[in-house]
Amino acid sequence: MDDLLANSAGELFTRACPPEVARAIRHGGSAAALWDAIEESGFLDALVPEAAGGAGLRPIDTLPVLLAAGRFAAPVPVGETMLVRAAFAAARQAAPEGPVALAQPVAADAAWRARAAWARQSRRVLVPRGEAALLLPRPALPGTDYVNDTAATMTWEQPEPEAALEGGTDWLVAGAWAELCRMAGAMDRILEDTIRYAGERVQFGRPIAGFQAVQQQLSVLTEEVFAGRMAAQLASLPSAGEASLDPLRVAAGKARIGEAAIRVAAIAHGVLGAMGITEEVPLHLMTEQLHRGRLAFGSEAYWHGVLGRACLDGPAVTSLGFVQERLAPAEA
Amino acid sequence: MIGNLPLAIIPPEAEALRAEVREFLREALPDLPPDRRARSWMGFDADFSRRLAARGWVGLTLRKEYGGAALGPFARYVIVEELLAAGAPVSAHWIGDRQSGPLIQRFGNEAQRQFHLPRISRGESFFCIGMSEPNTGSDLASVTTRAVRDGDGWRLNGRKIWTTNAHHSHYMIALVRSSGVPADRHKGLSQFIVDLSLPGVKVTPIRDLAGDAHFNEVVFEEVRLPADALVGEEGAGWAQVTAELAYERSGPERVLSSAVLLDTWIDWLRTEGPRTPASEALLGRLLAHLATLRAMSIAVTSRLVAGESPITEAALVKDLGTEFEQLIPTAIADALGAEPDRVPPDGLLRTLAYSQAMAPSYSLRGGTREILRGMIARGMGLR
Repeated sequence: MDDLLANSAGELFTRACPPEVARAIRHGGSAAALWDAIEESGFLDALVPEAAGGAGLRPIDTLPVLLAAGRFAAPVPVGETMLVRAAFAAARQAAPEGPVALAQPVAADAAWRARAAWARQSRRVLVPRGEAALLLPRPALPGTDYVNDTAATMTWEQPEPEAALEGGTDWLVAGAWAELCRMAGAMDRILEDTIRYAGERVQFGRPIAGFQAVQQQLSVLTEEVFAGRMAAQLASLPSAGEASLDPLRVAAGKARIGEAAIRVAAIAHGVLGAMGITEEVPLHLMTEQLHRGRLAFGSEAYWHGVLGRACLDGPAVTSLGFVQERLAPAEA
Repeated sequence: MIGNLPLAIIPPEAEALRAEVREFLREALPDLPPDRRARSWMGFDADFSRRLAARGWVGLTLRKEYGGAALGPFARYVIVEELLAAGAPVSAHWIGDRQSGPLIQRFGNEAQRQFHLPRISRGESFFCIGMSEPNTGSDLASVTTRAVRDGDGWRLNGRKIWTTNAHHSHYMIALVRSSGVPADRHKGLSQFIVDLSLPGVKVTPIRDLAGDAHFNEVVFEEVRLPADALVGEEGAGWAQVTAELAYERSGPERVLSSAVLLDTWIDWLRTEGPRTPASEALLGRLLAHLATLRAMSIAVTSRLVAGESPITEAALVKDLGTEFEQLIPTAIADALGAEPDRVPPDGLLRTLAYSQAMAPSYSLRGGTREILRGMIARGMGLR
């Protein structure tokens, strides 16, 4: 199942989202063709129950799709739309059509101002605020540049929701999960590209991969990517006896991937040298996902606090006991 | 290039042992202060090892016919994890249970198995491993200690160093040259079971920076070994040594060396220590690392169970694991110092001092960080 999904997601994005397409969409080009291809694949309804016309998969089952979206830096809200459709199905409401950006939750008494990735490519934004989440039309956005291309801060003077969801989903957890899976996918791609480049780039008469100093860096890169991928797998496991995401597993995963992201981006850029700073080389499409993903839906500092408090406020078990009871790998 | 490490779980029948081990430890664990428990797998207590053996938990992976527990790698994983987390003094039987016993079972002849394995399983026979020499550290193939054929036996001369527990052990499994010259590298090395009570063996403890004596120098001067001291094939020592490395490098002992310090600190935070946002976040950070590492370590174990030899993945777990073990004392020291008007309990400070001082050894023993990263680079096709 895993391999099947991974293969078909890989094929989909290879075909529909090569780097030139990702770049064009980010710079204001239309995402319609890419979105149609994703829609046609059926992935967007993967988390919707079968009874409601979806595939009835759980987050852990859909991880390969989100990893692939990250590997190809697909500039559209794939995971976010999957989560939104599942939430609408759970609330027995018709899901909105097209890509839906997911805003980072705002406080109930805050202004109607929110930030979301891939807003430019979306017609609608789901804005969690207090106990509810409102589906709002995406307002007009400022011109494109390297910040605005991938995320936007939006303001609604007079919000006119098309629909509302009451409770049900912890959107901070859900959004963190979508981001961390995308980050793990981006890291995978960075590892492959960086190792390949180190084998091709010749200095001092031999490929730089032949130098011990570079090898040691690439080994650390490998370690962090493997840790990140494991953290993403753990974070996708449901709570015991439930189908939904487990807030503590997502906390651990988002925090660990955030730490990995710093090292991964630094080493990859170090190895690629000035080439990695160019618009032409796709490394920045990957590291952008790492940096933005870290910041979105709670960074390490936030999720570390959540985990630490859960341990201190819970039963008086050891660190191993806590991890073994709350954060262990489980039957998927 | 190595591929993904898929999630794996500890099978329920192995997991079921956890409660039994905890119950046993509640009864049998000597009342030790945390800085003694922080010795982790360096803590020596022959009595404790014999009690564990009486419970059937020494010789965990050895076959029943040799007095072993005939348990699989995952059962051993659970038992070892609980022993280390509790800071149980496991060092007396550690090497025999983990390395020497399995080595003799796999490569030894029937007489060697019949003689050694039941003694290991009863906690009567303690083993040490003779690898390093004064001029042989990371470059293990450069050993110069030499066994020369002598009648139907062997004559051993040379010097081993940094041999943990040699002064408490009955036997050493020594990697020595049995033919050729050091320039032959991996060829001509063999493993011998050396009875440390033989004439010509001199063991001298070396005190460590915490005042403990676990390291030793072992000198062999014209030591006469019987023919059956050779374990496995003559000349196959290198292959035999490397065969078990994936087990050694990916287990709980590469993640939990600072667990007692972490738990002593958590205890203080839960009772009267300062629960600041910074200390909560640090604890969360350490737990996120521990959860990920443990899942990786379990995933590697499942590859071993499947009969694979995930050498690169194991090296990766060890490098990340020891980095985590070394992060714990550094980060906790900073957390304690962040509240200068609060005096932490003596036990916590002593445990911190011990772990902080010994932490450099975590990424030396069993393959240095630089060697491991070289192995990972090889696994990724870079060399």
